[in-house]
Amino acid sequence: MLNVLMLGVGQCGNRILDAINKEAFGGGGASKLAKYYLRPKFPSRVETLAINTAINDLKELKFTTAKDRLHVPNLHGVGANRNVGKQAFMDNRDVIMGEIEKRGDFDVAFVITSTSGGTGSSFSPLLINELKRQYRNITVITIAVLPFREEGSIYLQNAAFSMRELMDVEAEGIILADNQYMKRFSGDIASAYDKINSMIAQRLLFLIESLDSEMLSVTDLGDFKTVMNGGLRIGTLGFYKADRKNPSVKDAIENSLKPGNLLYPANVTDDAARAMIIVQGSREHLDVDEITKEMEKLSSCAGHVFKGIVVKKGHPKVLSIFTLASAPELEAIYAQAARAMQDEKEKRVRARKQLDDAFAHIEDLEEIY
Amino acid sequence: MRQLIYLAVALLLIVTIAYAKDDEDQVTYSDFTLNIGDRIDIGDYRAELIEIQSVKDGIAVMRISKVNGALDEQRAFLQNSANNFQGGSDSGGITITVTDIFDDQSAKVRVEYKESLGTAKKRTSERPAAMLNVPILSVQKSFDKNHISVGDEVKVTITVKNIGTGRAQDIKAEDLPPLPEFSYVVGYPPKIKDALDPGESDSAVYVMNAVKEGSIRVPAIQVSYTDSKKNVKSNNSEPFNILINPKSKANLILTLRPSGPITVDGKGMLNVSLSNQGEASATKVKVEGDIKPSDGLVATGLDKSFFEILPGMKENYSIELSGKKPGNYTVTLRSSFFGGDGAMIQEGRTEVVVLDREYKYLYLLLIIPVIIIVAWMYKRYREYKY
Ligand SMILES: Nc1nc2c(ncn2[C@@H]2O[C@H](COP(=O)(O)OP(=O)(O)OP(=O)(O)O)[C@@H](O)[C@H]2O)c(=O)[nH]1
Ligand SMILES: [Mg+2]
Repeated sequence: MLNVLMLGVGQCGNRILDAINKEAFGGGGASKLAKYYLRPKFPSRVETLAINTAINDLKELKFTTAKDRLHVPNLHGVGANRNVGKQAFMDNRDVIMGEIEKRGDFDVAFVITSTSGGTGSSFSPLLINELKRQYRNITVITIAVLPFREEGSIYLQNAAFSMRELMDVEAEGIILADNQYMKRFSGDIASAYDKINSMIAQRLLFLIESLDSEMLSVTDLGDFKTVMNGGLRIGTLGFYKADRKNPSVKDAIENSLKPGNLLYPANVTDDAARAMIIVQGSREHLDVDEITKEMEKLSSCAGHVFKGIVVKKGHPKVLSIFTLASAPELEAIYAQAARAMQDEKEKRVRARKQLDDAFAHIEDLEEIY
Repeated sequence: MRQLIYLAVALLLIVTIAYAKDDEDQVTYSDFTLNIGDRIDIGDYRAELIEIQSVKDGIAVMRISKVNGALDEQRAFLQNSANNFQGGSDSGGITITVTDIFDDQSAKVRVEYKESLGTAKKRTSERPAAMLNVPILSVQKSFDKNHISVGDEVKVTITVKNIGTGRAQDIKAEDLPPLPEFSYVVGYPPKIKDALDPGESDSAVYVMNAVKEGSIRVPAIQVSYTDSKKNVKSNNSEPFNILINPKSKANLILTLRPSGPITVDGKGMLNVSLSNQGEASATKVKVEGDIKPSDGLVATGLDKSFFEILPGMKENYSIELSGKKPGNYTVTLRSSFFGGDGAMIQEGRTEVVVLDREYKYLYLLLIIPVIIIVAWMYKRYREYKY
């Protein structure tokens, strides 16, 4: 059995973690009261911990137990300032790590965070380093959420710098989720967040369950690590659930790779470096030949493809995991971030100059009383 | 006064006429109201009212005399009959008539005489009015109790007292009519002494028994008596109302209160109260009970007796019950007692339930899960409360 640690850092991370805990009460929309009569059902031994500097963000959570919420006291929050955030992490490192170590040993850790806020984006790289130092053989996967592009220059800048730090740490890989890309799912921000969070939660739980199952075709943690190590070590997840109208496993696999089911805009045929396709469903739906044919089609363009088949009652469900050889969208963010930072800098210089010109008027004057 | 003036004028006329008709001597008359001791003077004649012997029979006693002692006679006058003395007025004497007797102290007297005798005049007696010699009897009738119920004995006291100044004689007390609501036990009709001197009193007591309920007016008692002159007088007591209540009875109410359902092999209590809500005591109270069906519920101390339960009082006791078989049982208690109207019986009953032992667990089966669920939900709430 796998020992899994899931850490939600910052408000975004906390809320996705809460969505995972909610999902564990039963797929789909678990009732608000589920926590009163059900136990969360994780496929493996899963420990969750929500970490934040803002106590109000922690209070907002509904499906995460109180002992799984860690408040890191920092006098005024971090106010999207990553430098303040790093200092806060270092000041509280022992508390945070103590809280994690209390939960025993782990094989995999998922660190879930936004890239653009202050707390999550600054804590996460440092936290990953600490985890790697503490647990020798741990596999650490970062779930990084990219901001809406219109959220402002500080968020873009934070995203740019934190992504660089996340790529530099020794983690096994980064799974990207892009708010901007997924916002089309819903009209208002709040319900878009909920939808995005539950999509992420559903995929992650499916992944854990699959890694911990007896599979027909062998895929395991090792394979997963290999996939995440491919290309830029940046990947994303796609998911599709077939229904009674179309139980075809072939269609399900293709659908799982379609843009609408991905967390981050990528073109699998062009950009994928390595992939892993996990299929789950009743035996009668799982035509191995068809599956193999689909895999081969994918391998021709995406390098190596691992396949995993889990026999479980129900219509086919497919999770596709792939790493990217190139990430044009990410480049666009950096460009936008740089432009924004440049604009900001210029604006500042201009403003400074205007002010200096104004000061020039009194340059040779003394205060007279 | 005016009368005197008229009289004077009349006399003047008479004298004038007398002078006119010198030898003709006319008869005239005068009326006087006399109290006892008063007298009329006319010429040498004196007529004094001595006493009124009987107002009722119209007899007054007068003394007629002459200054020279030629006449001194005491005579009883019958009202309205003329009495002639020395030949009467026509022959130079006088004629006297008692025309009216007002009371035993006064009477109206007419005197007729020849004018030549002069003018009749009234002389009021100077000696004080003679000590009255009048008996007056007061009479009272009283019951010894105000609240009477059918069956109660009532003592009636008749008291007669002479509050007058003369001796009362021939006293007769008449207590009539005998009332149908009572039966007369002893002493009826009441007897009072024949004669009572002033200040003296006598009483008589008789006993009767109330036999019928109702509101009745107790009639007055009348005493009649005569005074020394045989005048018959009478007096009576005040009549009054009295209520005879229905016969008072004891009314024992039996209340049975079981302590609750009993389980098989369990024990319970049956609290019994005997309260006397009647007006009479319940005596020789005996309580006996039985249980139906007769097996399955055992009671100890079912039978009980009390010597007396006073009206308004209450006796409590408990019966111990033990359940042997599940079921519904009827416990009936029957109390017999004497309570004013011979032997009486009252019953009380109640249901006692003996429960199957499992019932208790069924009950818990319901409670415990609820407690567990509530505790569980609370625990969860605490777990998630941040
Ligand atoms: N998908 C998703 N994104 C979220 C959610 N909440 C916030 N975000 C995104 O997260 C970014 C802001 O980061 P936060 O996680 O709120 O910030 P933080 O880590 O708490 O740091 P500070 O609040 O600055 O201390 C923005 O780009 C939001 O769009 C959420 O529930 N779901
Ligand atoms: Mg925050």
